[in-house]
Amino acid sequence: MAEISEAHDSDSSKLHESGSEAPPRPDSEPDFDPKLMRKTKPGLKRLFLTFSVLFSFLLGFPFLWKSVEIYRSPLPFREIDSLSTQLRSDNLHFPLHFHALFVGFGPDPDPDQLRRSILSEITKLTSQNPKCSNNYTLSVTVDLGSRCLRSPTSSPHSSSYQCGSISATDFVQNDDVAVDERLASVFGGKTKEYSVAVVKGGSERAVVGKHRHAWMVVGDGSEVEVAVVKVAELLVKVFINGGRDEGSIRNEFMPVGADGKIVLSFNLLNADPLDWVYDWDFEKIDDTLLAPMIEALAPVANISVESQVLYHTPKASFSYWNQKLESYVFSTKDLPFFVNSNEWHLDTSIAAGGRSKILQFAVYVPSAKECPLLLQLPNGEISKTNGFISPMWGGVIVWNPRGCLKDSEFEPGAKNIIPIQDLENMFEVFIGQFRQLFGFKSVNVYAGASGDWDLLPSERGFTKWELEVLSRQQTCFNLHSCATTLGSLSRLVQSLPRMIIMDEIGKQVKFSLEAAKLALSNASSGVYESSAASSSQARSLAEDAFFHPSIMSVSYYSFEHCFAVYSPFFLPVSMHVVLAALREFRRYKQEKAKYLVWKAKANTAS
Amino acid sequence: MALLRRPLLVLLLVVTHQFLQLWIVFGSVNEEGQKQEEFFEELLLKPLPDRKLLTHFHFQSSAPPSSNGRHHHLFPKAISQLVQKFRVKEMELSFTQGRWNYESWGGFDSIPSSNAKPPGVELWAVFDVPQHLIDALWKNLTHTLSGLFCASINFLESSTAYSAPEWSFPPASGNLRYGTLPREAVCTENLTPWLKLLPCRDKAGISMLLDRPSIYRGFYHSQRLHLTSTGSGSEGLDPGIILEQTLTVVLLPNSQRASLARASEKHIQPSWSLRSIFGKEVSGKCVLAENSNVYLLLDRGLVAELKQLHKEDEESAEKVLASENYWTNPIFELSAKPDRIFIEESSLLSKNSSILYKFEVEKYSESEPFDLGLTWKIPVVWLCQQAPLHASRFLMGSGNERGAIAISLKSTQSCEGFTGANFDDERCELRVDVFQVVPWYVKVYFHSLQVFVDQQPKAVSDIIEKIHVSPSKDKVSPGVMELVLKLPCSVSSAALTIEFDKGFLHIDEYPPDANQGFDIPSAIVSFPNFHASMVFLENDSLNKSPLLSKFQEKSPVMSYTEVLLVPLTTPDFSMPYNVITITCTVFALYFGSLLNALRRRVAEEERFLKDKAAKKSGRLPLLLSKLSAKLRGRHSEPPHSTPGSSSLVNSKLVFKVILVAGLAVCWQYYFS
Repeated sequence: MAEISEAHDSDSSKLHESGSEAPPRPDSEPDFDPKLMRKTKPGLKRLFLTFSVLFSFLLGFPFLWKSVEIYRSPLPFREIDSLSTQLRSDNLHFPLHFHALFVGFGPDPDPDQLRRSILSEITKLTSQNPKCSNNYTLSVTVDLGSRCLRSPTSSPHSSSYQCGSISATDFVQNDDVAVDERLASVFGGKTKEYSVAVVKGGSERAVVGKHRHAWMVVGDGSEVEVAVVKVAELLVKVFINGGRDEGSIRNEFMPVGADGKIVLSFNLLNADPLDWVYDWDFEKIDDTLLAPMIEALAPVANISVESQVLYHTPKASFSYWNQKLESYVFSTKDLPFFVNSNEWHLDTSIAAGGRSKILQFAVYVPSAKECPLLLQLPNGEISKTNGFISPMWGGVIVWNPRGCLKDSEFEPGAKNIIPIQDLENMFEVFIGQFRQLFGFKSVNVYAGASGDWDLLPSERGFTKWELEVLSRQQTCFNLHSCATTLGSLSRLVQSLPRMIIMDEIGKQVKFSLEAAKLALSNASSGVYESSAASSSQARSLAEDAFFHPSIMSVSYYSFEHCFAVYSPFFLPVSMHVVLAALREFRRYKQEKAKYLVWKAKANTAS
Repeated sequence: MALLRRPLLVLLLVVTHQFLQLWIVFGSVNEEGQKQEEFFEELLLKPLPDRKLLTHFHFQSSAPPSSNGRHHHLFPKAISQLVQKFRVKEMELSFTQGRWNYESWGGFDSIPSSNAKPPGVELWAVFDVPQHLIDALWKNLTHTLSGLFCASINFLESSTAYSAPEWSFPPASGNLRYGTLPREAVCTENLTPWLKLLPCRDKAGISMLLDRPSIYRGFYHSQRLHLTSTGSGSEGLDPGIILEQTLTVVLLPNSQRASLARASEKHIQPSWSLRSIFGKEVSGKCVLAENSNVYLLLDRGLVAELKQLHKEDEESAEKVLASENYWTNPIFELSAKPDRIFIEESSLLSKNSSILYKFEVEKYSESEPFDLGLTWKIPVVWLCQQAPLHASRFLMGSGNERGAIAISLKSTQSCEGFTGANFDDERCELRVDVFQVVPWYVKVYFHSLQVFVDQQPKAVSDIIEKIHVSPSKDKVSPGVMELVLKLPCSVSSAALTIEFDKGFLHIDEYPPDANQGFDIPSAIVSFPNFHASMVFLENDSLNKSPLLSKFQEKSPVMSYTEVLLVPLTTPDFSMPYNVITITCTVFALYFGSLLNALRRRVAEEERFLKDKAAKKSGRLPLLLSKLSAKLRGRHSEPPHSTPGSSSLVNSKLVFKVILVAGLAVCWQYYFS
């Protein structure tokens, strides 16, 4: 291109500017204008050069991009989404089998008819729990003594019942525990079904046993329809929902840590040790009362117990003297100010792992100037347990020393032991509070719309059917929280495209999803315990992934930083390269046009 | 040496006797039934020669070994869980502000040898696990402690911050880890969690005196937590734990009589009372404490001086000492009557013995609070007992490249008696252990170790009996030097020097205030042949006091040297970016010019220049001529420029503007 004969500088403005006034050169051809035409073909060397530089830059760009890319383990975003949609679209069904047995009603009631009416009552009562639903089947047996009428006739679940093994005479005795044991031996087959026996004849009574069954004795004259309504309510409200009120504590709260552990921290608070100092024999209580309950709850949570005695721990708010009750009264509206977080050094536990749930239970021994201290309910009555709970935190009981007088025998510093009888009462209240924290009732009566049911208390704190309610609920809660955690993680990861994601996180997410799937399949096949276990594993893995230290750290490498490092080189260089390519291209076009003009002219001339 | 050994034996006998008594007492408790958790609170006050006052709070909680360690009645739950979780056999954590003045506050008592600590945080722990598990436990322990005490102890986690001394650190054992943070600031947020471990916190008892402003106004403040777990962790029993919490504060009492400023009273020690020091009084003991005592200690030097003064008054010193009215005498007066007076058993090194006044707080109540005051009547001057050698450490050399650390040991005056006693013994030797940790970026050359005794260079092998060195590894572990020196007793001064190069840190490793310099932790100089112990006669074993039994323990005399501040070369922290920018600019210039050179058309340019020369007028001269014409007020000739050119210029400009705007839009789009 260096030998272009007549072309001027590439600056076209100059070209045009000089176009009109440039003196015509003496040339052999009179109509050859060097400004407008040329005789040689424009060369391609420089054009090729600049474009090759430009293209090599463009080609190199992906390599550069790859080299500055940070490591992100691929997360299964789609599977996370599908898990949460699966949970949202109500795919978590727990299969439940109910069995209603009618004894002493004669051949009159048709089991199919009964079954239909119970089912219709159940559907009336079932509130649409948005989170977890149940998939129930019902079988009805009418025992005629010698033979049974069954509906449906070929149900696999009612087969365990032997006809005639229960008669009305079994229920005459007043000992509920004995009846419960008798029923347990009758129904205690291998199948996991919830049974209710309706017996005609005898004094009216409705009891829920410690195992998976309940019984109801109705009077001779009573209608079977009344019994049907009551049975349906029992099945829905007690066996499915655990007898809890809808509004009391929201169902999805489970006081279980992400690692499936609960630490029960018991604290004895001596408000003012100058008045009296009380100690307790905690070891004994731990062995007799708490150990069976902990053992019973083992499938739901891994519970550990610790205790301490604290001194100089006044409560945070004042009580007032009530002359009529001759005691100090603390009203409910002040309860939020009872716990004195400045002075009550209840402490988190070092022994517990990072994500265990700690439930604090405190026995408050008031000082002499506020003794006896009573808690007043909003309706003006005095609380019988003299305690209260705070959901997800724990419970407090006020224990007034006997006599409450600053006797001379109370020499300061002398340690008194809380009487073992009082301590047992206290711990029964604590177990009740613990049940309440799980959402159960602390009283032994379920008051339904169609009548009351006595709930037979278990010496282990939780009955079998309650534990099953808990493990169902825990599976549900864990799966939902796992899905939420993974969802937040995927949103976080997607919103920060330059965040490093370690392989370990990817692995944890994968395992968590696998465990969640296992829990789902176990739940739908009715294996509650293993589904609870794998659901809690899924949840803890999800939390592990979310709280992985590498996410927390500031090893996040921002785009600004990248830009600041590379722009000093690439910005000026790319300007050069792009502009050069543009200019060469334009010039080539111009020159080519000139050449074409000349060629056309030459053609016409020749 | 023989002379030295005999009294030592006597002392040993006395001590074992005492222990035997204690053991019997424990046994009797055991027979009665289950051993209980116990708590003791004590306060020791000691006037110091330089008009200051030492206050030493000593709290001890103990938990017996039990099968059920989860339940506690007095003992802090957090500590027992810590011991169980991390299998800690012994641990000490101290938070210190200020430096213990060994010269004027003494270095030989059991108070300085176990309570004088290096500034900042010091933590050591002995673990009851196999070697390979220790480091992991140590790391977890540091994190737990930093959470428990609101301090940045977790910085001891990194392996460059801690070391494993083999034998020179007194509770030497292979399972020991030792680390210090010299720059940690200590304040109330560390004291509050420490107080939380006491059953009465600062609500009752002696700890009520802990008035934060007074404590932190002091010259020296050291808060210490020492725990020992005793016994059988392996037999299914949880170990028994003894938790000892001490707070040592050195304060200057503001004398009420200072305003009088009489010349004669200038030299009188300031009088003080608990109320004037702390602004508070003790209203009764903590009801949970087994006993609650306040002690006033007059040390040996002071008692000797007092005896001297008494002699001038022509009174028999012995008589006065025996007298119960010693607490009010012509020299000083106490505001409260002591419940007991202990006189130290004639000690090994001096004929004088210290006196201890005991006050039982139990007898006082809210209506009649306990306030101890000491009023001096005549000036008294005395000296505290010093450690045999006074250790100090300093840096030598200048510049940012290399330097040297020197540890100098000077014989103290008080030790003359000791050396004199052994003067006839030719083989008399003084054993000194030195333990020094240096961070890895201070690269010590161990071959350059030099020893000077009485300013004369000596061969290293003559003086150093034993040496253990673990060289530092870059960014992995600090260098540790442990030495045993054998110095002649008659030594008046000795010095050790060792040279080092200053290393370079990676830019990420500099702390935020890198220009302040880097700390070399204190060296520990201990004298294993000297033991600080005070044995008091009439120590009634029924009312046992952990503080007094602590005094009776033979604790080796040790002292900490100063913390050194080494300035390292610190880079300009914006340098990497500057380097990037300038390199990139140079590259871009090179690249651009290369590209331009490649597409240059030389012939065409020459021709163009010729054209231009023919035209003779550039744009700029044209503009200039126009401007000058305007200035002269004359109408110049219209320029030759054509509209076509200006439109082309405009289109080019517009293109450039659009390019920049497009880039800006892309930029914005990317960020939204």
